[in-house]
Amino acid sequence: MNEKDIVLSVKNLNTSFISDRKEIKIVKNVSLDLKRATTLAIVGESGCGKSVTVHSIVKLMPKNARVKADYILYNQKRGDKITEFDLSKLEPYGKEMRALRGPDIGMVFQDPMSSLNPVYKVGDQVAEGLLEHNPKMSKEEAKEQVLAMFRELGIPDPENRINDFPYQFSGGMKQRVVIALAMICNPEIIIADEPTTALDVTIQAQIMELMKSLQTEKNKSIILITHNMGLVAEMADEVCVMYMGRIVEFGTLEHIFNNPSHPYTKALLRSVPVLGMEEGRLLETIPGITPNPAELKEGCEFADRCPDCRDECRKGTIPAFEVEPGHKVRCLNFNSFKEVD
Amino acid sequence: MLKFIIKKLLQMIPMLLVISLLVFIGLELTGIDPLSYMVSPDMAGSAENLERLREQMGLNDPLFTRYFRWVSEMLRGDFGYSIVSGTPISQIIAVRIPATIELALLALVFSTIIGVGIGIVSAIKQNGIIDYVGRVFAVVGQSIPQFFFGIILIQIFAVSMGWFPVGQRISPGGNWSRIQHLVLPVTTLTLSMCAVLMRYARNTMLDVMNSDYIKTARSKGIPEWKVIIKHGFRNAMRPVLVIICFRLPMLIGGSVVIESVFSWPGIGTIIASSVIAGDMPVIMVTTLMVAASILVASFLVDVFTALLDPRVRLGD
Ligand SMILES: Nc1ncnc2c1ncn2[C@@H]1O[C@H](COP(=O)(O)OP(=O)(O)O)[C@@H](O)[C@H]1O
Ligand code: SF4
Ligand SMILES: [Mg+2]
Repeated sequence: MNEKDIVLSVKNLNTSFISDRKEIKIVKNVSLDLKRATTLAIVGESGCGKSVTVHSIVKLMPKNARVKADYILYNQKRGDKITEFDLSKLEPYGKEMRALRGPDIGMVFQDPMSSLNPVYKVGDQVAEGLLEHNPKMSKEEAKEQVLAMFRELGIPDPENRINDFPYQFSGGMKQRVVIALAMICNPEIIIADEPTTALDVTIQAQIMELMKSLQTEKNKSIILITHNMGLVAEMADEVCVMYMGRIVEFGTLEHIFNNPSHPYTKALLRSVPVLGMEEGRLLETIPGITPNPAELKEGCEFADRCPDCRDECRKGTIPAFEVEPGHKVRCLNFNSFKEVD
Repeated sequence: MLKFIIKKLLQMIPMLLVISLLVFIGLELTGIDPLSYMVSPDMAGSAENLERLREQMGLNDPLFTRYFRWVSEMLRGDFGYSIVSGTPISQIIAVRIPATIELALLALVFSTIIGVGIGIVSAIKQNGIIDYVGRVFAVVGQSIPQFFFGIILIQIFAVSMGWFPVGQRISPGGNWSRIQHLVLPVTTLTLSMCAVLMRYARNTMLDVMNSDYIKTARSKGIPEWKVIIKHGFRNAMRPVLVIICFRLPMLIGGSVVIESVFSWPGIGTIIASSVIAGDMPVIMVTTLMVAASILVASFLVDVFTALLDPRVRLGD
């Protein structure tokens, strides 16, 4: 695989928030690569920093955030031409970054209820980005495209519904509108932050199938944040497991499901329903509570909840080890393997 | 939208009737002889004369008959007479209302432009210079009483510098003199109203700019000014407009202080003097007017909110 086939490459992303004059580290040294035309899933308990990670990448952060990264490279492919952008060097709301939002990177935000502006028609909200990035496009053409997108996403009666306001939509329908909004400019990368939580199971499957087919047909790449391991199994090519702002395990779908190695990953897989799980098997909960990010001490973040915890786990920063090619685990249980970063 | 406006206008009628009934009953309860304010005092004659007049004018009719007569007279522009000066109330109002409205509207317009403008900029450039200066100004503005502020302005700009006249509305000299007379009272009102509005507009805008749909708007790659104006400002204006509209009755009914300080011949001075003199008919009519201005304000709030918010416009 050519290095330019990595569409997004993040190196040492660190994000913290300033509140009450204290700086709280939320995302710590996160590095990840998104391969072109694949889906990367990010999983982990809520509050572990998944949303903050992707928002930091696309630079949509509140003012009290401090984001640092060695680089956030985006390789834009237009025909055979590849252009490299380092998002970490761009102004968050400057021209270059704006040009990438929409046609290159589409965002599906976590909460569909509050993600739409209450005072504009949904059709206009979806068309807005399209018209912004295609100045020559007429309103009629934009409307046609929005209609087509609504139809594809299974929004009934789109001709009338594009003129409705968000409050007239149910949660599931809003979620589709939010997805339409992210996909309308046909982006290279779709970042979907728990995109289906408001939908019922059959609809979830439908929407995901749609995103998946888009990805395979049009060579798009997806970062999918989800709690749903069934969804991961169906969608993902590679999986990042996050705990307290760190990637604790990374590997292909097979690595993670067939050979989960980090104690947290194992616990996570035992605690969430997985598609095809034997009937009657009880779900376990992970013992202990997620620590408060403001009160974390040095050493492994998972130490307090880990059954294998020992003294050296409480010291310094735990490195990652490559337990098999492309499968990295941040845990001292594997310190006989090669250390990687 | 037109239907909405008509509906809201029609809803005002019963409310006005209820208020006027309350005012009328209030007048009854004071036990003042209605003749004294229906007939100009210098026209009153002997006791039999008055009794005949009373019969003729239907003052011995039941309460509700008289109430409806009173309302229909007011609808025709006949508000009765002041028992103190004997002048028809309609005449007093015709002179005083323009003075108050002029002051109120100018102060409202200026304080809205300045207050909302600075508030929005303070929100966008949070913790910037304008935000900081605005914060100081707001604290100072809210802690200095209006009359004190007015007196200071008069002392500095009228008495010491002599740039502006000391009070009153119009002295000979036409439009220019009229503007000169307006400057100090309008400045006083504007600044004291700005202080609150500015902070409110800022905080509302900050809330809105932190909301999820602003992030969505930014994720589309539209320019920041569009995000601020189209997605931010419009949503922030809804609560701010409520405050601004309800300033109107406050300005009309509560103009007593400012009009006293600047000897401004408006409704406020009339309300004050009629209360002191126990001039019930004038108190009743001015109360009715203040109540009506509150209704107008809430009507304006309804219309603006409906214009800005589809849930109100299309709901129910
Ligand atoms: N604007 C903010 N200011 C301070 N802390 C924040 C802010 N946004 C998120 N956080 C904190 O960052 C942590 C991770 O949040 P998030 O990324 O949303 O978790 P999740 O993995 O569920 O998406 C949480 O502890 C949250 O409290
Ligand atoms: S490093 Fe130690 S505490 Fe952390 S997960 Fe591994 S064994 Fe558990
Ligand atoms: Mg999240």
